Amino acid sequence: MITELLQLPLFWATLTIGAFILGQQVYRLSGNSAFIPPILTGIVLVVTVVEVTGTPFSTYMQGGDYLHQMLGPVVVMLAVPMYQFLHSMRKQIVRIVLAVSLGSGVTVAVAAGLAHWLIGDAAITTTMHTKSITTPVAVAVSEQVGGIPALASVFVMITGLLGALMIPPLLKVTRLDQPQALGLALGTCAHAVGTGRAMELGAQQSAYSAMAMTLTGTLHAVVLPLIL
Amino acid sequence: MAGLLILLFFLLLGTLLQGAFSLPLPGSILGMLLLLISLILRGKIPEHLASISQTLAPLLPLFIIPVSVGVVTQKALLQEHGLLLLGILAVSLIPGALLCAWIMKGGKAGL
Repeated sequence: MITELLQLPLFWATLTIGAFILGQQVYRLSGNSAFIPPILTGIVLVVTVVEVTGTPFSTYMQGGDYLHQMLGPVVVMLAVPMYQFLHSMRKQIVRIVLAVSLGSGVTVAVAAGLAHWLIGDAAITTTMHTKSITTPVAVAVSEQVGGIPALASVFVMITGLLGALMIPPLLKVTRLDQPQALGLALGTCAHAVGTGRAMELGAQQSAYSAMAMTLTGTLHAVVLPLIL
Repeated sequence: MAGLLILLFFLLLGTLLQGAFSLPLPGSILGMLLLLISLILRGKIPEHLASISQTLAPLLPLFIIPVSVGVVTQKALLQEHGLLLLGILAVSLIPGALLCAWIMKGGKAGL
């Protein structure tokens, strides 16, 4: 009975949705802490079940694919916030584009450089390039450029958590923590998790972070496949 | 639902263009750029597109879970290089965040 259940794609799709909803509850109970995003709880729960039952990833993914297929339309949907930001921040757009492209470029170059130098595995280095892109875009790009999508997702998540943790104190110490600068740095380097942290800090931080996250994702998605 | 149809239309268009011209960009990104251009030309966001965005955006993390679970296939790699990867991800954040904030610092107040 249990063995048959574990073979059903529908079971794994249901489990994934259940784990996400549980993640949302935990997030609410934590007072919407940026450090316990629902997706992290969801992943930990699903991975635990997959590991404990010894289910091959390919079996899980037959069900996971129901949800995975929605990433395409969701990536297309990112044009909507992108358009809103371009519209509302057009007076600062040159400075923002400069800050976002150079800031994200440097963090990615340093990460890929260190990975190449210290580890020297081509797939890891390639995947490292996608670390500052919001996850749905990072997954699409890493598939495109020959990285490892699952690893891209993990790098993105860890980068987000580290960035949300490190960036506010780092900018405070260096006195660069004006609301706009802080928001932009969080969104550029720590994407969605950073934006979650920015929401806790204030409205301006939040708006600039969301803008930076969207812009970084778009820029990197266009540039990386061309240079890798 | 008309909003979802728009998203699927642009996704299809992007995917077709990607395949037809062997473009280096993922089809979904091309679709996103095409939709962005059409929004800029139009000058505003159609109501049904705004409403599907509000419906889908909170679900975005859910759609990322399956591919992330694929981390179970990378256990050996993470055991070997896990700490080093963590260090690289942490260290590389510092120059990027500083540069980004420093460039933005001189910006004028207000949205």
